[in-house]
Amino acid sequence: MAKTPDDKDEKRLEILQGTLDMLILRTLLWGPQHGHGIGQAIASQSDDLLKVETGSLYPALHRIEKRGWLKSEWGVSEANQKAKYYRLTAAGKAQLSRERDRWSQLVAVMGRIMNPAQAGKE
Amino acid sequence: MRPDERDLDEEIRGHLAISVAQRIERGENPETARLNALREFGYVPAMRESMRRVWYSRWFDATAALGQDIRVAFRSLKRAKGLALTVIVTLALGIGANAAIFSVVRGVLLRPLANRDEARLIYIRQSAPGIAAANMTFSVPEVRDFKSRITTISAFGDFSTVGFTMVGVGEPRIVQAGVVSGSFFEVMGLRPVLGRLLNGGDDGLNAPGAAVLTHRFWTKSLNSDPSVIGRTINLGPRSATIIGVLEPSVPYPADTEIIANIVTSPHHMGATMVGMRTHRMTELFGRLAPGATLKSARAELTAVHASMLSEHPESYPAKADMQLSATPLRDQITAPARTVLLVLLAAAGVVFIIACSNVANLILARSVRREGELWVRAALGAGPGALRRTLLAESLVLCGAGAVLGVLLARPLVAIVARYASRFSVHALDITVDGSVLWVGVALAMAAAVLLAFVPRLPSPHAPTGLGLASGGVRITPATNRRLRVFATAQIALSFVLLAGAGMLVATLIALQSASTGLETRRVLALDVPSATGDMSDKSIAFYQELTRRVGELPGVDGVAVGSFVPWRDAGSFGPGIPFSVEGYTPEAGEDNPRARFRIVSPGFFPVMGLPLVAGRNFTTEDRRGNDRVVIVSQSVAQRLFANGDALNRQMSWNDPYMGNQQYRIVGVVADVDDENIVAKPALTVYHSFQQIGVGGRVFVRTARDPYALVMPIRQIVRELSPNQPVERAATLEDVRAEVLSPDRLNAFVISGFAGVAVLIAVVGVAGVLAFSVSARVREFGVRLAIGSTPQSLLLGVLSEGAVIVSIGIIAGAVCGYAFSGVASHYLASFRLPGLLPMLGAAAVLASAAVLASLMPAARASRVDVLQALRSE
Repeated sequence: MAKTPDDKDEKRLEILQGTLDMLILRTLLWGPQHGHGIGQAIASQSDDLLKVETGSLYPALHRIEKRGWLKSEWGVSEANQKAKYYRLTAAGKAQLSRERDRWSQLVAVMGRIMNPAQAGKE
Repeated sequence: MRPDERDLDEEIRGHLAISVAQRIERGENPETARLNALREFGYVPAMRESMRRVWYSRWFDATAALGQDIRVAFRSLKRAKGLALTVIVTLALGIGANAAIFSVVRGVLLRPLANRDEARLIYIRQSAPGIAAANMTFSVPEVRDFKSRITTISAFGDFSTVGFTMVGVGEPRIVQAGVVSGSFFEVMGLRPVLGRLLNGGDDGLNAPGAAVLTHRFWTKSLNSDPSVIGRTINLGPRSATIIGVLEPSVPYPADTEIIANIVTSPHHMGATMVGMRTHRMTELFGRLAPGATLKSARAELTAVHASMLSEHPESYPAKADMQLSATPLRDQITAPARTVLLVLLAAAGVVFIIACSNVANLILARSVRREGELWVRAALGAGPGALRRTLLAESLVLCGAGAVLGVLLARPLVAIVARYASRFSVHALDITVDGSVLWVGVALAMAAAVLLAFVPRLPSPHAPTGLGLASGGVRITPATNRRLRVFATAQIALSFVLLAGAGMLVATLIALQSASTGLETRRVLALDVPSATGDMSDKSIAFYQELTRRVGELPGVDGVAVGSFVPWRDAGSFGPGIPFSVEGYTPEAGEDNPRARFRIVSPGFFPVMGLPLVAGRNFTTEDRRGNDRVVIVSQSVAQRLFANGDALNRQMSWNDPYMGNQQYRIVGVVADVDDENIVAKPALTVYHSFQQIGVGGRVFVRTARDPYALVMPIRQIVRELSPNQPVERAATLEDVRAEVLSPDRLNAFVISGFAGVAVLIAVVGVAGVLAFSVSARVREFGVRLAIGSTPQSLLLGVLSEGAVIVSIGIIAGAVCGYAFSGVASHYLASFRLPGLLPMLGAAAVLASAAVLASLMPAARASRVDVLQALRSE
C-alpha cells in the first residue's frame, strides 16, 4: 500500500530508514551486538561524525527485526549486564547487499550530477 | 503492561548499565556517569511512543487513515446536506420508533405479574358459543362440583362483582365491590401493603363482615390514609370492617374499589345464589396442584365439565353448546392488548425495513456516483483497502448519526406509546426504554453501514479505465440501476401494505362513527346524579321529580328525564341481562328463558332521547306506586316473543328472584336502541316506570342550545335541593360515544402515522432513484434532444419510469398483503381484509404521491442543455 504523503512520522522515519537500517545491518555483519554496542560501533567507525540517537536506534532495531532481517536474543554483556543481542539473518544479509548496491548507485549518480566535469573526463 | 514493553524496559536498563560501566572505566565518578548516561540516552517516554508505533504500526495506520477518511466524509457530506439529512432522519425514525414499540410490547406482554408464582395461576371460564355468550361465569353449585372433583388444581378462588352503596369512607356512593371467599387471595398469590387480606376465617355465615381496599382506591380516593384500617363501613344493609389494603396488582376480572367477604352480600347468602345451578355470576381462578400441568388440568376440567353436563342436562341447554376453557391468568390479562400491540409491532417492523432499504438506496446511489472519483484515486495508487475505507467512513458517519438520533428519540417516543398502550393494559403505565432493543437497532444500523460500504464495485487494476477516468463522470451499469429499482419497488410495496391497513382502520372508524344509533346524541346532555343512599324511597323519587321540574324550567331546555343508564358509558355495568318470561311465549325444551336489559326511565325519557313509540302509550305520572304495574318493551321483544309483534297488555315477569316475582303489564312498544354497543344490534330491553321502582341516578336534558352551558345551572339546582348530592360526568351523548370510540381512533391515528412515515420514505426513495437515473443519463437525453425528441416526450418517459416502479410496487404489495393476511388471520381472530375502497384509496394516494415526486427529476430531464450534455463526456 502506498504511504500517504502527509503522514509526517512515517516520512521522518523513512529518511532515517534509508541509511540507518543499512548502517545497522552493516555493523552486525561482524557479529551479534547489543543496542549500545551498535550505536558505539557506528560512532567510532565514522569518527564520531555520525551519532545515532537512542530514540531512533531502538525503534529502527525493532522495525528491522519485525521485517525478519534481524533476530534478537537475551545475553550477558561484557559489563556482566543482561542485554539484548541482535544478530543478522540470511534475509538481513541479502537486504544489506541490496541496500549497498542501491547506495553505491545513488552515490555514483549523485557524484555525476554534482561534479559533471569529472564525469566527463572519465 | 504488554510483554513488549517489559522487554523494552529490560533492554533500556541494559543499555544504561553498559554505558555507565564504560564511563566509570574511562574515569568518571559513578554519580556523574549515571547522569551522563541518562542524558545521552534521551527522553525515554518519547522513545517508548515511537516504539509503540513500530509494534502496532498496522493499527496505527488503519485508525489514523480511517479518522482522516471520516473527517473527509464529514466535509463531503456537508456538501450533500439533503442526502445526509434524509438518511439520518429516516434511520433515526426507524430505530427510535422500533425501540419504543418493542419496549412497550415487552413491558406489556412479557413483564411478570405481581401475583406470586404466576405461572401456576390459571383462569377458568365457561362460555356458550351457541348463544354468543363469551363469558357465562359459574354458579355456586358448579364451583362446588369443581372443588370436590378436581385434583390437578390445589385451590380455587372465586370472585363476583356486586354494587354496594358504601357509607363510612370517602363520599357516600355506589361502589363496585368484589365478593370473594377466603381462599381467593391465597390462590391469587397477592399480599397486603397494610393490615391483612381475607382468609379462610372470614368464610361462613357467622363471620363478621370484612373488606379489603384495592390499592388504587386507597391511594386515589383516600389519599393513602393508614387510619382507615379498622374503620367500619356500611355496605347497603350490612356492615364490614376494613381489614387491609391490597398490594398494587392488575385488577382482574373487574376493577373494583373494595373486595369483601361473602357475608357482606345478602344476595350471596340467599337460596338462589347457593342452590341454583343456572344463577351464574362467579368468576373462577385456580392454582395448579404440585406436579400438575396446565394440560393435565385442562383435561380434568373438561372431563368434569362434561360429566356435569350429562348429570344436569336441564341447566346446560344443547343449543348453548357450553364450553370450558382454562388459560394462564397472564395470557388472559394481556389478551386484549396483544392484538393491538402485535399490529403495532408489525407496522414498526415494516417502517424499519422501508427505512433501511431507503438508506441503502440513497447510500448506494451516492457511492455509485463516486465511482469516477474512486477510479482516479485507484489510478493514483490507492489500494482497494483505502478505497473501501473511504466508502466505509461515509456510511459510518451517516448510519452512526442516524443511530445516535434514534437513541435520543427513543425515550420521548416510549412515553407517547406507553401512554397510548395504557388504555389497553395497566402494565403499560411505568414502561421505560428497553435498552437491549435500542442496541439491536444501533447494531443493525452499524452492520448496514459496513455492508453498504461493500456494495459498490471498486475499479479493478486490470480493467481498462477509459472515458470514466478522464471525465470523472458516472457510469451506471444496468445491474446497479436494477438494484436501486428493486429497493424502491419494495418500499412502495411495503408502504402500500401499511397504507391499506391504515385505510382499513380509518374506514372501520368512519363506519363506527356514522353508525346510526337511533338516539338524539348531539342535543342531549347526560349527567350522573347518583342517589345518595341508592334508596328506593318515596323521598328519593320526590327528589328526582322536583329536580326534573326545576331543570325543565331553565331557559332553552326542551325536556328532562330520569333514567338508570347512560348509553355506552354504563355499558357492561348491569351484566348480560336478566332472564324473564312473558305471557304466551314458552321457550323450546332445553332452551333458557330470554334475557333482557333492565332499565328504569321517567315519562320524559323517550321524547328526550328521540325514541319513537311504535305501539301503545308512554309512561305517565300516573304510573306510580300503588297503581297498575306497567312496563314498556323494545320492538325486538315484541317481534321476537309475540305473534305479529302484538305485545300490548300482555303480562311479563322477571325470572330472577332478586327482582321479585311481580307481574307487569306491557303498555307500550318503543323503537329498538342498543345502548351497550356502538354498532347497534337488536336488543331486548324492558323499561320500568321510575315512579314505580325508584333508583334513577342518571338525568338527561335535551336542549337546542349549547348543552354544556346547562351544567352550572343544573348543579346549582341540585345543590339547593340536596347540599351533599354529587353531580358528575356531564357530557353530551355524542361525546360519550366519542370517548368510547377513542381507542379505535387512536389505533387508526397511530397506524396512519406509521403509514404516513412509510409513504414519505418510499416516495423520497422513488424520487431519489429517478433523480439518480436522470443525472446519469444526461448525455443520453442530450443526444435524444439533438436528434429531435421533444422535451415533453423525455418528461413523459421519466414519469412513466416512476409509474412503472409504483405500479409494480402496488401490485407486489397487494400480493404480499394478501399472503400476510392469511398468516395474520391465523393469529388474530379479529383480523379483517380491508375492503376495496381503502385498497383503492391507498393505491391512489401512493401513485399520486410518487408521480408528484418524479415530476422534479422528470422536469430536469426535459431541461437538459443539449450542447452541455454532449460536451460533458
